[in-house]
Amino acid sequence: MNRTKRRGLNPTILFVIMLGIGLPLSFSRSVILNAIIMLFTVLYLCWERVRLRTALLVLLIAFPLAFGSWASFMFFGTGDRLHAAWIYGTRVYAYLLLAMILTMTHSVQEILLSLHHHLHLSNTFVYGLLGSFNMMKNLRDQYRRIKYSAMLRDAPYHFWQAHFYLRLIITALNWSNDLAIAMTSQGFTEGAERTELSVDPLPAWQWGLAGLLIVLYCGAAFLWRPW
Amino acid sequence: MTSLSAHQLSFAYDDREIFHRLDFTVPMGEFSLLTGPSGSGKSSLLKLLAGLFPQYGGRVTSGQVSLNGQNAAEIVPFQRATKVAMLFQHPARQFAMRTVNQQIDFALANLQLSAAEIYRRRQWVLGKLALQQFAHRLVTTLSGGEQQRVALACVLAMDSEIILLDEPFANVDINGRKNLLQILKRLQETGKTIFLADHDPTGYCGIASRLFRVDADAKTVRTVPLENLPTEEENLTPVRLSDELLGGRLRWHDLTYGVGERQLVHNSSFTLPAGKIGLLSGKNGAGKSTLFNVLSRQHHFTGQLSFDSVLAQKVPLRKWALKVGQVFQNSTDQFISMTVKQELAISRKHSRQPDYWTPRRIDQCLADLNLSRVVDHVCYRLSGGQQKKLQLLSMLIMAQPVLLLDEPFAGLDLQSIQRVLQLLKMVKKDLQTSILIISHQRYGIVAALDYELRLTGQRLILQGRDSDE
Amino acid sequence: MQTVDHNQHHFSLRDVIFLAIIAIFFGLIYQGWSYIYYLLAATPLKPFANDLTLGVWVMAGPLAGVLLKRPGVSTIGEVLASAVEMLLFSSWGAADLLSGFVQGIGSDLGFATTGYRNWSKLGLFWSTLWSTIITFIWDWFKSGYSKYSLAMNCSLFVIRFISIGFFAGILVYWIARLVRRSGLMKL
Repeated sequence: MNRTKRRGLNPTILFVIMLGIGLPLSFSRSVILNAIIMLFTVLYLCWERVRLRTALLVLLIAFPLAFGSWASFMFFGTGDRLHAAWIYGTRVYAYLLLAMILTMTHSVQEILLSLHHHLHLSNTFVYGLLGSFNMMKNLRDQYRRIKYSAMLRDAPYHFWQAHFYLRLIITALNWSNDLAIAMTSQGFTEGAERTELSVDPLPAWQWGLAGLLIVLYCGAAFLWRPW
Repeated sequence: MTSLSAHQLSFAYDDREIFHRLDFTVPMGEFSLLTGPSGSGKSSLLKLLAGLFPQYGGRVTSGQVSLNGQNAAEIVPFQRATKVAMLFQHPARQFAMRTVNQQIDFALANLQLSAAEIYRRRQWVLGKLALQQFAHRLVTTLSGGEQQRVALACVLAMDSEIILLDEPFANVDINGRKNLLQILKRLQETGKTIFLADHDPTGYCGIASRLFRVDADAKTVRTVPLENLPTEEENLTPVRLSDELLGGRLRWHDLTYGVGERQLVHNSSFTLPAGKIGLLSGKNGAGKSTLFNVLSRQHHFTGQLSFDSVLAQKVPLRKWALKVGQVFQNSTDQFISMTVKQELAISRKHSRQPDYWTPRRIDQCLADLNLSRVVDHVCYRLSGGQQKKLQLLSMLIMAQPVLLLDEPFAGLDLQSIQRVLQLLKMVKKDLQTSILIISHQRYGIVAALDYELRLTGQRLILQGRDSDE
Repeated sequence: MQTVDHNQHHFSLRDVIFLAIIAIFFGLIYQGWSYIYYLLAATPLKPFANDLTLGVWVMAGPLAGVLLKRPGVSTIGEVLASAVEMLLFSSWGAADLLSGFVQGIGSDLGFATTGYRNWSKLGLFWSTLWSTIITFIWDWFKSGYSKYSLAMNCSLFVIRFISIGFFAGILVYWIARLVRRSGLMKL
């Protein structure tokens, strides 16, 4: 669980930046600021040397959403359509890139453990989530089997049918019980102390940086209000 | 010395009592085998002994399980785990962490040991169970047997005195099983207590030093003399190859598949004969269930799979599901509605052979299978045996030309097995269905079968014929 | 040795795993039908696509609520679902987590309106109403609904209420009824 020191920011700080800027971003109305966020996040991703292919793919997949936002304001907008179209078109990417600086530079495990260390996310959540994610492949198979079971009877499930969800819930009930039992048998105790094996250094200046970025953004978004 | 025992223990799920005033003590330092049919309560007993029930299921209506005189269910898990720990039936559902190292560390960190001690114990146990080369591997990429070895490593590292194992070989291949049994035997000889539940008592001769059996009728556990253990590989009654296996509609050619990096079957070719019932045999983990999933296109494969000479890729999955029927090992995976009546109604409505499956015939089958009383019941509340029979009947009514049955006799009494076999024979004769069965149980079944297909050494071999395949 | 008391009022390990598995399943559902959503969302009709499908996105919260019946469970259920979404599947990024929180709060407010006593029709009705209002206010700012005409906003609001009403209300009610009948959970 010990990991070597990375060059980038601590996951908790990235998380705080993501939400700390993401929230006011929802209320701001500035194309320029969106562009600045996009620029800085892209630079950060380059500096972190994330996998180019994955990054481009993620950005590409989001394009229809961004385009849809843009186009809807060109069609249905009132007032300054062009401005609105560009605000909400670029906003899709600003949100996405704000999350990518976190999710593309750290594993789920690193993120959860970091949130445990610095933001008091309880062990029950950390290890419950990690255990569930481990079953991902089996869950996918089971999801397929459930759909196939209905096809076998020539009555395929649709996502608006309550029975389909019942089947998913039954699996969730049984599997969550199995995993929770096993983890308990391995000594996991809710609310108890555990040995902390991971080290997750978070220098104070990073908190300062996050605070500064958020204050700067809010000031720019709500006082300066560029185009 | 640690002691673990049940005193006047009564335990129930909802209204169904499993144990009634049970007195039972785990023999320390022994290798005990607990047998009994599926659904008899073996798993419940183990989870009770491990202190995991009633927290995670059922109700204790009298008595308790005592670990060193203290109620096992009330001890905090991180202390209880140093005395008693458990391995489970589904290897993949017992890991919180991604890699082997992390998983072992996870268990040890729960015990609040120092980081240095955790490192020491982890290195020790990796060596002891020959897991060094897996240390950084993702747990999900390991085979069932390797996963159980990792789970065992956690238990050993925690230094639990009593090791409970609940059907630990259900998803483990023959070599993995042999390897694990040897390890467990060695552990017992060096002072650990092993308590293992398995519905299949073969392969424990010379290993188990105590034998117990759940008596579901008396809701108790009985001691059985060791002599009752079947000696190694009792002579398997072979299926007599019926003289002619004429053509069939489902055919595969050069079929190859595996799980993860492990290849299970290599370049196999076969045509499932119409109007015959076959047994698909082979050791645990050889890939029998996976073959069914391949044939129903739920699992990746290479080679050609065709129905009526049309390649599988050319048929939409929805249509394929009406050609190749499957009875799942886990009954609750089969039910798509709520009550027995609804299940049957859906099957009847969509049956491929509506003229054959008349309401009268269905009622007759319900009566034969002793299901008439429960038609208005909710599927999920039926007993394991009733669920199996319902599963089977609803798929028989669907009447796909090919029917794959994965452990259809599990938890059925002998009379029910005979009824089910009669039904299968009737259908194969009347509708010329190709039926293939996976069943660990052969007793009372082989006489009704027409051929045996054995999966061994990555090949499917038709038994009782000189030339392969 | 130390003993535990099994407190029923906080989130147990099993609850967390249960909700996470449900969230993963929802992820798979979204994945399966996001093609349709994408087709619509890549056109000027995106706001309509959003509002028409919103019901499915907000289902996880009220579903967690009626299954586990505890204050705050809708919010946590929805946030978990959106966190799983962001970590394993997403193309929405930070908006996922923020929207998940807003949706969960909306649903929880509904159950709170009944004093967390009614987890059936009444509670679900309030839950869908509050979800619709809260998420609409959210989109007023976040997605720029303020820039659309009044008529368009009205139709979007109605579409949204229908979608949330069906998926997060009626369908969740049906699911809860089935779960109760199955006897697998004591609801």
